[in-house]
Amino acid sequence: MHISIRGEFRKDTFGQAGLILLMATTALALLGPIAVPYNPNHQTHWAFKSPSTFHILGTNHVGQDNWSRLVHGARTSLLVGFSVACIATLISTLVGSSCALKGGLYERIMMRFVDGLLIIPAIVVLILVSAYTKPRLYLLIVLISLFSWAGGARIVRAQALSLKDRAHIWAARSFGGSNWYVMRRHIVPDLGPILVVEFIHSFRRAIFMEAGLAFLGICDPARVSWGIMMRNAIEYSYMNVWVWWLVPAGLALSITILSLAFIGHTLEPFMEPRLREHVDA
Amino acid sequence: MRSIIGRNLPTYFAALLIILSLNFILPRMMPGDPLMAIYGEEALVAMTPELKAFLLRSFALDKPIWEQFFAYLYQMGRGNLGFSYYHSAPTLEVILGRVPWTILLIGSALILSTTFGILLGIESGWRRGKPLDRSLLSGFMALTGFPDFFLGMVFLLVFGVSLGFFPLSGSLTPYSGLSGLPLLFDMVRHLILPVSALTLGHMAGTYLLTRSAMVTVLREPYILSARAKGLPERVICYRHAGRNSLLPVVTRTGIWLGRIITGTLFIEVIFAYPGLGTLTYEALLARDYAVLQGVLLVVAIVVLLANFSLDLLYARIDPRIQHAH
Amino acid sequence: MRGRSHIHSAISLAILLFFFLPQSIAWAKPLTYTIADTTGDWGYPSPHRRYPRGPGYLRMSFIFDTLTWKNEAGEVIPALAERWEYLGNEKAYVFQLNGNAKWHDGTPFTAEDVAFTVQYIKKYPMAWIDPKIIGKAVTLGPHTVKLVLSERYAPFLINIAGTMPILPRHIWKGVSDPRRFGGEKALVGTGPFRLLDYNKAQGSYLYGANYDYYGGRPKADRIRSIKVAAEMSAAALKQGLVDAGSIPPDLAEDMKRAGFRVIRAPYGWHLKLVMNHRESPLDEKAFRQALAYAIDRKGLVEITQRGHAMVGNPGFVPPDSRWYNPQAKPYELDLDRARRLLRELGYAIRDGKLSRDGIPLKLEILSQPGFKEVGLFLKEQLERLGVRIDLRSLEAKTLDSKVLHWQFKLAISGHGGLYEPSFLKRAILDEEFNSARYRTNQELTRLVMEQQREMDTARRKEIVFRIQELYAEDLPNLPLYYPNWYWAHNERIDIFYTRNGVAIGIPLPLNKLVFIGKEK
Repeated sequence: MHISIRGEFRKDTFGQAGLILLMATTALALLGPIAVPYNPNHQTHWAFKSPSTFHILGTNHVGQDNWSRLVHGARTSLLVGFSVACIATLISTLVGSSCALKGGLYERIMMRFVDGLLIIPAIVVLILVSAYTKPRLYLLIVLISLFSWAGGARIVRAQALSLKDRAHIWAARSFGGSNWYVMRRHIVPDLGPILVVEFIHSFRRAIFMEAGLAFLGICDPARVSWGIMMRNAIEYSYMNVWVWWLVPAGLALSITILSLAFIGHTLEPFMEPRLREHVDA
Repeated sequence: MRSIIGRNLPTYFAALLIILSLNFILPRMMPGDPLMAIYGEEALVAMTPELKAFLLRSFALDKPIWEQFFAYLYQMGRGNLGFSYYHSAPTLEVILGRVPWTILLIGSALILSTTFGILLGIESGWRRGKPLDRSLLSGFMALTGFPDFFLGMVFLLVFGVSLGFFPLSGSLTPYSGLSGLPLLFDMVRHLILPVSALTLGHMAGTYLLTRSAMVTVLREPYILSARAKGLPERVICYRHAGRNSLLPVVTRTGIWLGRIITGTLFIEVIFAYPGLGTLTYEALLARDYAVLQGVLLVVAIVVLLANFSLDLLYARIDPRIQHAH
Repeated sequence: MRGRSHIHSAISLAILLFFFLPQSIAWAKPLTYTIADTTGDWGYPSPHRRYPRGPGYLRMSFIFDTLTWKNEAGEVIPALAERWEYLGNEKAYVFQLNGNAKWHDGTPFTAEDVAFTVQYIKKYPMAWIDPKIIGKAVTLGPHTVKLVLSERYAPFLINIAGTMPILPRHIWKGVSDPRRFGGEKALVGTGPFRLLDYNKAQGSYLYGANYDYYGGRPKADRIRSIKVAAEMSAAALKQGLVDAGSIPPDLAEDMKRAGFRVIRAPYGWHLKLVMNHRESPLDEKAFRQALAYAIDRKGLVEITQRGHAMVGNPGFVPPDSRWYNPQAKPYELDLDRARRLLRELGYAIRDGKLSRDGIPLKLEILSQPGFKEVGLFLKEQLERLGVRIDLRSLEAKTLDSKVLHWQFKLAISGHGGLYEPSFLKRAILDEEFNSARYRTNQELTRLVMEQQREMDTARRKEIVFRIQELYAEDLPNLPLYYPNWYWAHNERIDIFYTRNGVAIGIPLPLNKLVFIGKEK
């Protein structure tokens, strides 16, 4: 089936919008910290200020500039999202394709484990584990990844199963290729489109998780997070400047998640051809 | 039918096993006395020696790890989830006390979001490409991006604090002296904001799925024949196309349950609703490990039961399954 | 004509009565006073089951009385005991008890109840009461009891007699599990209120007045304590949902303008920079002093607390206390002096960074979630001095544990109970994580133990003054600030803060006397 990614995007306005928004956010995250006027961690006594020429989004309860914090928050979200997506996709590829290829008891047990993982509400487990451990960035990334790979594994396995019976796999096998070789050279590349979509979904969910956990107070204290900005908005809501803390962070978060959702939605037809708007000839 | 249910049971056991193992391993991985890791230092200081000895015995903490695991499983089975020092009460009791409010919240949100999501999804799918569909689609697509805690906060701060239309927190006005209908009304007033936030956050998924299922189903040949038969549009729309679009929603609801539980946790914390969500958050702040583990177990069991019920439901409404094998 | 005027008078009289009589009858409109609390649930309000925290104690104190109590000025006044006398040679207090006091179930209160309580808590201790201090209790009459102490203990009248709730013997003599004992019987006390309802999940309490209270008729018919989130308390007050509650300090002015009475708690809690004085480099006094000179505590208050705190006294005792010694070393910000002290210790500065014998100076600060801003500020200040700082955030219990086991260099932690000088012993010598555990200075150690036993107030004050001088000089910990805590109320009842905190030193305006309208 020949589906060109670029073609899909040209036709779908949602996808285009998503792509543009994501690129804008990334640009902000990368360039921003150089261009923002203040150090987001520097505390001053100009607290609870409304937007002004000095602080375009005002300041928070310790006089930190909201705009600078917003931009640095983008960094945290994208970093966490991207790292989690990488790790989760890697694990799901390994598990999914190995299950498809090996089969047997290994596959049966693994798949039960995967399904079990899917059912468990991740947030409660994450809270429990965070209660026992110290919240550092890399730990958060690892923890969130552990709960993101299960869905992808199922999809990869399904796809790998259908792929493994193709002619070229047979050929490779008959030439003596081991499972590992076949997986590496033949199956994984063909999984490309699926993996991209799964990557996008993991990215999106990870950003949501990071913000949510930060909202509950589980975050790396050395970093700025949108979730923390929103949490502060409620903690100090009585000061009536909460709008400038809640809305920019919330919108930034929503837009980032949305952009990924749109991109993922556009790329979805790779997995579910029946959903495509245009019928193939 | 039996095969569908039987097929998923091993999965449920797997999930349960993961949770139990996690609950078991975590405190024992921490340095120091496992009793301290389970209950926290402050709790330990205030415990009487008798209580400590009792806990040590029932959880076999001085025996090898395998015996500990079985002792632990045995205690779980008996419903002994440990003693929450922070609440000075058995953990199970504390948890069960909060469950009703959470069920009220989730239940209302689930019913409303499913109902409206399906209805709107059907209408949208029916009118694919038309203005109503386009606006609904764009609207819901946009909504998917908003995390429920963002929506919740906006609702609370705008409608509760700034405008003062709704109560600021809690599920009831304490000691209001109300009963009967006014009490119900009070409860509903406290429910409106949290349920709205939760519903909005989760309607989109149902809507989108129903809509795409509708779009697919409407292409099926039997729809054409229904039309040819001259059946009224309403009947085709709901009785034929709509009903068959329900299946994906039912299948997915099991997975979505996890998401709505996550959402409920945030909403409860924001609105200080006295359910399991706030209990979890308070336990996190107080490092009440017993309660945290207990909540995880209870929530997991509820989710598994819900999935199981959905399997039964699915088996009933999909005629294809009933007649297969 | 005469008949007419009779009728006129009658009608006038009737009209007068109609208008004025209602006012002369006290309208039986029940006064329900509602208190907002951010936590809500403080445990079942029985002496053994309430949470070992101030608000938990107070909710129990509405129901149960103690021998003595405190008024608004912090003076010890009669409660269940009408008079008392200290017998120096016996180290004993003789209490004459109030003969009018009755338990809520009607049984008269006697000295037997006091003796029983003393014996009971030796077997089943209550939080905060050290049962070893009372050697034995002897009843000398139906309303006379002698409590013989095992040692000389200056704060007895406040910390024990003013904190220990008396239990009814006829109910508790058969109770072997006080931590599970509940029901109506468990809440029979002598206090001005009875518990009508307690809802754990909602975090709410409802009390009803005990109109036969020996101390006076309660002003409120009912008291409600309900849970309101901290950020919502001001809104709740303004919307009339509650009558009183704590408010964030930033809103103090706003609430005053809105017509509420705003009261501030006497300083009883402080945040300190805990230093590990057993390990290098903090084992050198001069080093600790240098750090104190380098930290701008005024700036700390202005920036991280937005001005809503009192700068810490290096001598430990809060500046508004009558035990405060203003002569203790103040450690005003003086970077030059800090640097000089470090140079004398052998530290050299290069490229703005300090090092000694070629080893760069690095310190780790442990901070807690609630004080992230303080941690950041201290890091900036000390880095300006030239110290490399690694700021780590731990949650409170982990931090306390590390401090307890000396696994730290610098830590940020706080505690209260600063009203009665007996806290000096707990905070300097005792082996708890809140304590400095500093015994290096012999004179300081000796004086801290002595003030505990000095029964003469004037002499005790002298000792406490000297303690502050020594403490400020040695500086085992650096007190950073005392936060301002405010309550706002709508003046339906004039609630007040007790000068040295309620009972053992609880900094809340919920002294039960507030609801009885006793003399202030």
